[in-house]
This record gives sequence, structure tokens and C-alpha cells, in this order.
Amino acid sequence: MAKSKVYIASAGLTKIGDHWGKSLPDLAVEASRMALKGAPRVKPQQILVGNMFSAIGAGQEHLGALLASALGLSGIPAFKVEAACSSGGSAFNLGYSLVKCGAIDSALVVGVEKMRDLEPEEVSQALSMAESAEYTQFVGATFAALNGLLARYYMEQMNVSRDELSSIPVIDHANAVTAEHAQFRKAITADVVSRSSMIADPLRLFDCAPVGDGAAAVLLVNEKAASGARKAMTEVLGGQVSTAEFSLYERDDMLDFKATRHAFRGAMQRAGLSPKKLDLLEVHDAFSVVGALSLEAMGFSKKGMGARDAKEGKYSRGSDLPINTFGGLKARGHPVGATGMYQIVEAHMQLTDRAGENQVEGARYAATQNIGGVDSTSAVHVFGRAS
Amino acid sequence: MTIQSWRLRDRYYRLLGSKCEDCGDEFFPPVYRCRGCGSERVKDKQMPQTGKIITYTKLHETLPGFEAQAPFFLALVRLENGAKVLTQLVDSPDELVKTGAKVRATVRRARVDGESGQITYGYKFIVAS
Ligand SMILES: [Zn+2]
Repeated sequence: MAKSKVYIASAGLTKIGDHWGKSLPDLAVEASRMALKGAPRVKPQQILVGNMFSAIGAGQEHLGALLASALGLSGIPAFKVEAACSSGGSAFNLGYSLVKCGAIDSALVVGVEKMRDLEPEEVSQALSMAESAEYTQFVGATFAALNGLLARYYMEQMNVSRDELSSIPVIDHANAVTAEHAQFRKAITADVVSRSSMIADPLRLFDCAPVGDGAAAVLLVNEKAASGARKAMTEVLGGQVSTAEFSLYERDDMLDFKATRHAFRGAMQRAGLSPKKLDLLEVHDAFSVVGALSLEAMGFSKKGMGARDAKEGKYSRGSDLPINTFGGLKARGHPVGATGMYQIVEAHMQLTDRAGENQVEGARYAATQNIGGVDSTSAVHVFGRAS
Repeated sequence: MTIQSWRLRDRYYRLLGSKCEDCGDEFFPPVYRCRGCGSERVKDKQMPQTGKIITYTKLHETLPGFEAQAPFFLALVRLENGAKVLTQLVDSPDELVKTGAKVRATVRRARVDGESGQITYGYKFIVAS
């Protein structure tokens, strides 16, 4: 395998929220054009589109050729990559792997999702497809319900309090206040979380990431193609996608996020980096309990301590390892198939000093963790400031 | 959903799961290979009809086809053979639904398809008082 270095040459994103006036292709093109404009002399040799439910949400499939054509790039190979909520991170992993192994010199990776055109129960139906149709949808389990089961189990087994569980959403909202592309730019308290409306007991509205539209894109290049790019790039140091037993109930230990554990370990090993070196982390907290278990799976918190550590300030802005520096899934927003790409663009912004008021001073290394299902797939990537 | 639920009727009506012929582990839903020992020698086996609640939640927002039942309890149940079943709870008052509570299987209406009016049936569990 050729060992070219791989860089993010440029990036683009839309604000997350209600894009009533824009279609799914509109959003994908908007983010892609921003990324392409940042490196005008680079022509991508492949397109990868991360998306979960364009068929249900927009009646549209075949996103690869659609986007290639819309961007005037017809002729090159283009694919849609689907891995539920980890579609974005998974698409990125494929693009990164192809450039890393020398198959191509450059790739455009886009994550896009359009959720706000759907009725709430249609969104629930679409999200439930991340789990088993035959045995999970059949009993009427929404995706939130599975996470509700998990949250109760976590709280009872690990003696985690309501206030502790609320602490990750509180961090997210605090960070989103100054994030221009975030969906909800308003600080909240633990009390607000614990008094919000019940969704799937014990999970409440503010434990759950919102529904939104958005797209985020990057242009990946190897050293050869990098000469056509401007300065201020981010190096992709390593990445791995892992899978676990598909359904929560198929696992011996439901509190062990195995896919994330393996993906994180593999990504760090490939990067040749100790986790202690990370200056920031974008965590997939689609539900507060998922954020806590992810921090535990990656080894930053001991088992049962993820939410407690968050409450103690271990992951807040200004700490040694701030998480979700633009608001995470809960406040920046979670347009499912695009979320992994938002995390990656945010890491790129941090490592090229483009994070504005949300800048983590002197950040040199960052990681992103993007889950599909209840940790059935996990895509982790590690980034460094390009030297 | 119609053909799918017909195909799976033994799974849905009788809790037909899998038993590993090599190590004896039992599973529901059925498996293609044993999660305990990796053997592909698995055969159909009816699951026991009683177990205990491992964890549960009460749903306030449902999938299409379940609106009439909301809010309802969803539980993860460990059967007496060790297999785990994700199931709805019916006829179970709030005060009886708790971790560790004993439950038994029953068959009920599962889902009403809005467009065709098709009704599917399947397993649900009741808390034993
Ligand atoms: Zn076996």
C-alpha cells in the first residue's frame, strides 16, 4: 500500500435547521461548491455521498451520479454510502481509504440529509430502519425507544442520576451559542433537560438530538494533488469503521459500545497517536446516554462515569478534552446522514484556526466519532494540523 | 409488511427462535449462527413463555400503525432459557412494570396498516401480578 499522506484541502457546510426553500440536491451542491472553491485547482477523481434516507425523505436515490452531474463532474465514479446515522463518517472513511492506498489522488465527500420535509412519525419510521425491521419495528420500537431502554438500564446499573445524564446536552448547548452553523444557539441548564417533555421514559426531549436539514463536504487530496490546493490543510492521520452485533438485545453487555471501542482503538493505532494527545473530540451524542457510553467506550471515562465526568467539567470548554466544540448532535444538530461530515468539517475548522469564537486554542489533534444504529456501526477518524 | 408478517408467523405467534446444536445456547430472534460458539448448526426451537424484565421504557411517540396503542410500554425481557426478547407489554398497570418483574407471553394485535387496513398479530408480554 502506498503511504501518501492524506489531507483535507478544503471544506464547506450549510447551517443546520429548516431549509424549506432548498431541496436535498440544493443542499448537497451548496456544501460541495464551497469545498471545491477552497481548492480551485484540484479536480476530484471520485465522489462519495453519505446519506441515510433520501428515498423516503425526497423520493430520490442514485445520489452519486446526481451530484456528479449537478457539479459538472460527470464521468468520474460516484457512490452513495449508507450506514444509517454513520453514513457521513462511513463515506469519509471510504474516500480516505481510496486516496490513502493510492487508487485515486483526490475525492469529494459530502454528507447530506433532508428531514424537515417529513411528518414526525415519518421521521420515526425512517430512523427505525437503522434497526431490525423484522423484530424491532414489528413491536413498534422507535429509535428513541431503544435508547430509552438503554438509558434506564445505564442509570439503574451504574447508579447514574437524572442530573448527571443531563450534563452532556448542557455542554452541547453552551458550545452552540457561538457556533454560526448550529441549529439551537441557546444555553440550557440540567433543570431544563429534566423538565422537558417525555419521549421514551426516561429520555426526554432535551436528551434527544433534533431533526434538521443540512449538508457538509470536504475535498480530500494526497500529497501530489495537494500542490493544487491552498494552504491551511488538515492531515487525516487515521481512521477506522467497525461494526457490532446489529441489535442492542443481541449483545451480552449492552453498556459496552464495542463498535466504537474497536474503531477508536484502530483509528488511534493507525494514526500512531496516544489518546492523551487529543485536544478535542467530536462525540456522537444522538441521545445523552449514547454520548456517555461513547466516552466510556473510547476510554476517556471509566465504565459508568461518562455522564458523571461530564457533570464534573471534564469535557467542558477550556478543559483538557473539550467535546462537541460547536454543539454536538444535540445543539449543532443531527441531519443523520450528514452528521459525521459535520464533525469532520468541525475538526478541520479547529485545526486550521477557522473556528472563530469556538476555537480551541493551539489545537493540534482532534478525533471524530460517528455512530449508526445504537453503535451497530462506528466510524472514528483522527486528524492533525498539517505541518 | 403483509408478506413479511405471513412469512414470519411462527416467529411472531409462537416465539419460534433458535437453539445451537453444538453448545445448546438459545436465541430470539432466531440466528443464522450461534453467538455463543459460532456454530452454524442451529435449528428452530420454541422459546419458553415466561421471563423477567431487564429494562423498559414507556413510549409517548410511536411509529405509524401504533398510534392507537400509545402510550405503551416496551420491555427487554430475559426468558428462562437466557434468550432476550424485545416486546410490548400489555394489560400491565404502571405500578407493576419494573426491572425484575415476572412476565408471560401472549398473542395480540400488533399493528394496523393504515393504507390496506391489514392487521398483523404477534407476541406481547403481560406482567404477572
Ligand atoms: Zn453454540
